[in-house]
This record gives sequence, C-alpha cells and structure tokens, in this order.
Amino acid sequence: MTQAPVVFVVDDDPSVRSSLKFLMSSVGLQVESFDSADGLLKRKLPDAPSCLVLDVRLRGLSGLDFQRELAARNCHMPIIFITGHGDIPMSVRAMKAGAVEFLTKPFRDQDLLDAVRIALEKDGERREREKEVSGLKERYDSLTPREQEVISMVVSGMLNKQIADQLGTAENTVKVHRSRAMEKMHAKSVADLVKMVEKLKSSVEP
Amino acid sequence: MSHAESAAAYAEARQQVEQRWRTAFESSAIGIAMADFAGRFFAANSVFRNMLGYTESELYQLTYLDVTYEEDRNTNQELVGELVEGKRQHFEIEKRYCCKDGTLVWVRNNVSCVPGMGGVAPFWFAVVEDITQRKKDESARRYAEEKYRLVVETASDAVISLDETSTILLANPGTTRIFGYDQAELIGKPLTILMPEFLRKMHEVGFKRYLATGQRHINWQGTELVGLRKNGQEFPVEISFGELTNDEHRVFTGFIRDISERKQAQRAIQNAQAELARVSRLTTMGELAASIAHEVNQPLTAVNNNSNACLRLLANQNLQPDVLRRALEEIVADGTRASAIITRIRGFIKKAPAEKNRLDVNQVIGEVLVMMGHGFEENRILLQSELAQALPPVLGDRVQLQQVLLNLIMNGIEAMTAVTNRPRALSVQSRIDESGDVLIAVRDSGTGLGSESDSVFTPFFTTKTNGMGMGLPISRSLIEGHGGRLWSSPNSPHGAIFSFTLPAAAGSPP
Repeated sequence: MTQAPVVFVVDDDPSVRSSLKFLMSSVGLQVESFDSADGLLKRKLPDAPSCLVLDVRLRGLSGLDFQRELAARNCHMPIIFITGHGDIPMSVRAMKAGAVEFLTKPFRDQDLLDAVRIALEKDGERREREKEVSGLKERYDSLTPREQEVISMVVSGMLNKQIADQLGTAENTVKVHRSRAMEKMHAKSVADLVKMVEKLKSSVEP
Repeated sequence: MSHAESAAAYAEARQQVEQRWRTAFESSAIGIAMADFAGRFFAANSVFRNMLGYTESELYQLTYLDVTYEEDRNTNQELVGELVEGKRQHFEIEKRYCCKDGTLVWVRNNVSCVPGMGGVAPFWFAVVEDITQRKKDESARRYAEEKYRLVVETASDAVISLDETSTILLANPGTTRIFGYDQAELIGKPLTILMPEFLRKMHEVGFKRYLATGQRHINWQGTELVGLRKNGQEFPVEISFGELTNDEHRVFTGFIRDISERKQAQRAIQNAQAELARVSRLTTMGELAASIAHEVNQPLTAVNNNSNACLRLLANQNLQPDVLRRALEEIVADGTRASAIITRIRGFIKKAPAEKNRLDVNQVIGEVLVMMGHGFEENRILLQSELAQALPPVLGDRVQLQQVLLNLIMNGIEAMTAVTNRPRALSVQSRIDESGDVLIAVRDSGTGLGSESDSVFTPFFTTKTNGMGMGLPISRSLIEGHGGRLWSSPNSPHGAIFSFTLPAAAGSPP
C-alpha cells in the first residue's frame, strides 16, 4: 500500500524554509525540508507521491542544475521553483525542463498550495502508470520466447493460420501458445492484449 | 711762344691726355671693350681680356658674337640692331661669355655707340661687369625660395601670410582646398573672412593688442579654433603662426589644419566612453536593485507564509497557542531582518565615503576639460585656462572635485547660451590665494547672477527650465567637506565667477 504524499522543500534560507514547512503543514501536508540539494539526494526517496519545492538560487548546486541532476538519476518528482529574482530566461529554462510552476517570492500562499496539489496529483498518476506498466512487464517477461513471438504477431493483426505459416508450425500449436499467453497476461480479449502491448511499448519508448 | 713751340707743347699735352686715358682704360677695375660696326674687337682692357682668357692679338681676331654664349646671341644682336637703327643710344644686357677655356662667365654689359668724328669711324663701346658670383647667389636663393614655395604649394594645410593689418598677402592651394576660396578671392581680404562671426571681434582686438603690446591672446602653436568655409560651414582647425619682420614690415605666416576628422574620431571615442560609463552605471544600479529585491523578498516570503499558515489553522480552529507564538516570533524576526536589510542598503548608498588623496588640482582640471570634450566647441565657447605652475597638492576626493568642476563649468556654459553679441569666453584659473590655499575660479561671460547671487546656493533654487536646483548646494557641501569654501562673484564686464578654495595638503612646501 502506498504511503501518504510528501512535499520536499530545498531552500538555503532558514526562515523561508521553516515558514514553508509551517504553511504546508497547516493544510495537512507532510513536509520534509533541506538546506541544500545534497541533503535531499542523500535521502532514500519514499514510495509515495511526492513533489519538490526548490529555490533557484542555492549554495553549491543551483536549482536548475539540481533539476538536471534529478532527471539524470531517473527521478521524475515534479518540481515547483521559487525564486527571489524572477527572471524570465531562468523561468523559461526551468519550465522547459519540466517544472510544474515557477513562483516569485513573495508568492500568494494559495498559488503555492495549488501548485503543490497539482504536482502531487501528477506524481500520483505517474506512479499509478509506472506501477501498471511494471506489472505488465513482469507478466510479459513470464512468457516463453515463442509465446512472446506469437502475441506480437497476433497484436499486429495476423490470423492463426498466417502465424503458423510464418513460424513453420501447425495452426493448433499456435492456438495453444496464444491462449497460454493470453492467460499469463491476464488479457480478456485480443483488444485487451493490444492495449497492454501498447502500454509496454510506450513505457520503453517515451 | 713760337708756333713750333706751341705745337710741341700741344703735342705733349695731347700725349699726356692720351696716356692718362690709356692708363685709366687699361687699369680700370671694370672690363672695357670696343668693337667696330662689324662687331670685331679692336680694343679691350686687361680686366676684359683676363675675364675671357684671350690675349690681345687673339681677341682682335674675334667678334662679340664669337665670344657670346649661343643662347644669348639673338637677344644681343637685336639690341645691337636697335642701336644701329638709332632707336636707342645704349643698352644693358645680362649675358654669358664663352671663355677661351670653354667656361661661361655671366656679365652685365652696358653698350653704347660712340659716334665717329674727325676721321675716326664710329664704334661700339662696352663696359663689362663680371656678375657670375651674383648670378650664383641669385640662383641659390631662387632654389631655396623654390624649395619653400614647393613646400607651401604642396602642403595639405592652408598656409596664409598676413600683413600688420591682418590682410591676407598670400594663400596656398591648400587654403583653397580647405576653405573653398580661390587665391584671388583671398588676397587683400582680411583674415576674419575665414573665421565665424563669433571669433572675428576677438581676433581683431587680440591682433591689435599684440601689435601694440606684444601680448598674445592665444597660444601661437597648435591652438584649436573654428574655421569658416566659403559655403558657410564651420569646422575645427588647429593653427600655428609665426612672425617675420622685414624692412620694418611685420609679416605673419600661419599654418591652418583642418582637424574635422581628428575631432570626429575623438568624439566617437568620447561617445563610446560615455556610453560605456552609462551602461556600467545602469548595470550596477540594476544589479543593486535586483539584490535588494532578493534580500528583502526572503523575509517577506517567510512573513507571508507564517501568517497564512496561522490564518488557515485559525479557520480550522486548530491553532495551538504555542504554534501561534512560535509563528509570531518568526514573523517579528523576519520583519526586523527586512528593515535591517533596508537600513544597510541605504547606508551603503549614502555613505560611499570620500576617498581623500593627494591631488594635483591642475591635473583634475585637465581631466575635467577632457571630459567636457566637444562641449566647448558645440556651444562656441572660447576656453582659456590659466593654471599656476607649482601648486601645492591638496587632499581631496578626485571624483567629487571633478563633479564640482564639471558642475561649475556646465553652469558657465549654460549661462552663455543666450549670449550672441560678445565672445562666449570661459576661463578656468588656478592659483594660490593670500592664505596659501589653492584657489580655483571658473569665469564666464554670460548673463551673470544679478540679484540672485545669494539664492543660487539654496537647495532647489534654479534659474534653468530643466534644472533641479541641487548642483551648487551639493557642490558647496562637497567643497566644505574638503575644508574649503565655494562662493560666487560678478565677472567684469559680464558674467559670473565661481571660486572655491582647497587647503594645501599638510607637509607640502608653502
């Protein structure tokens, strides 16, 4: 079962940091704050929807560098940037790199809380999708090579007879592979199977 | 006395006369030669013979044409012809003889026809002066003159000679090129034709004063002024003048160089520098503003967050007193922090402490005049600087003193913009005053201060349409910050003088 969502805060200004924590706690969010990017990178990330409220200007690694670093580590936690100098080129770069929001200090509390809510929802959906895909992948991996071969031909719209011809085997043999594969994949119909294979493909080739 | 006796006496007397004439002829310091109407010599004295290098017997074989240099024969023959025709009694000719050894001798001959009488045929009589040396000198002088003429003719600068009334005697082709007048249009005209209106009076007065007193009103070497072309265009020139006294006449020769291009280049550099200074100032201010915003936004953000969190908890009736207390404490701390940042920034802007160094006032004046650059020309201001040498150094902030000087000079220039009926003269003077302080005075020939002389130092008082009225009060407080004084007084006959003193730096010789 997934845990409660977590908001991470990285800002090197202690009063901003603690006030952010207080503000978000006041609406019942669980908040963890850090004074540098390193602090967050050292922590093992929880198995829960999460997002990051990140100050652009940090000591050491800057906010934008940190955004790249997280992406490189295959961490897709949504990021909300906050900054004292809202300069346009910087915000464009951040948004292009996938930031959810770019807020200039001092911001309206509702704007931040809205952004956090959207970010957590996005992350929740992403985690759902990831979970589903990883289940599918597990099932797909349990197929024999020949079963995998047969279902990729089924998905491409070939009839059992055509598949048998191409593989140089009997039509009945194909039928057996096909029904076993459907069973292992938990597919109720060919249409269901097609959807599953599509999801698998899109997770491999984003 | 018998007839025979008297005849003998007569013959003796005659012989004596003849002997005297012959001796005179022979020992004359000047050459003398006689020739018959065919041109053949029949008598010549030793000076003449020696001049040509012929013996008597050799010479009497020759005609005057034989010994005359080929190129001079025609002229000589024509003149002789005129004598024959009776058109003239004598003639003078400068010509060359070919000597026996082939060398040429320049001579000046005075030739006359001696009429025949008493059975003596008429003949040519020539007095011959050797002028070879004079011709050599002349040729050397001509060569030298030609050399100078060539320099003047080919000079790219305008070269102009003037007499004592400042009338143009000579103008080279460079003058035509630069000013657009033909030489003929300039000769006999006053030099002021080449000056814009505002310089003419000054030139006339200055020139007269120089002739009367020897006192120059401008530097004669490399002074920058304004020229006026025939087409009415004004342009910057650099002039150098020299004086030559000849037979009681004084001739002034000047070189005038068109420095439009040089000025344009200088202007481009100055504009670039000004632009750079402006940009860097803006950048600094922009950076300052950004850093102020960032510094202040941090505590403001914290205050907002803490307050909003309290409001939310309050709305849910979930605000614990100790939570509220902690939040309020943080809010107060952040408010205090924000105001401390503002105080710090204000102090940083205001204080910028004066940096006092030992300064050469003349150098500071020089720097400011360079900064002003073409401001003088553009406003047709004649700048004069009278800087005393060997001034003691002062202890001061270079930038602040530059600001004060710039302000006073700009005021002076602005006070003269309305002046059209007299020269716009601005003078910057430095000297030591009675109490040993360094005194700097900026004089203008503008409209003067009149009854407002006391008000100009009052903050926000201004006589200008777009002035702030802060220049002089700030200047005065800067000078007072240096231990000096700044005051104004009327200039004579027009304009105002702004003067300030700066104490000489301790340890400098009195």
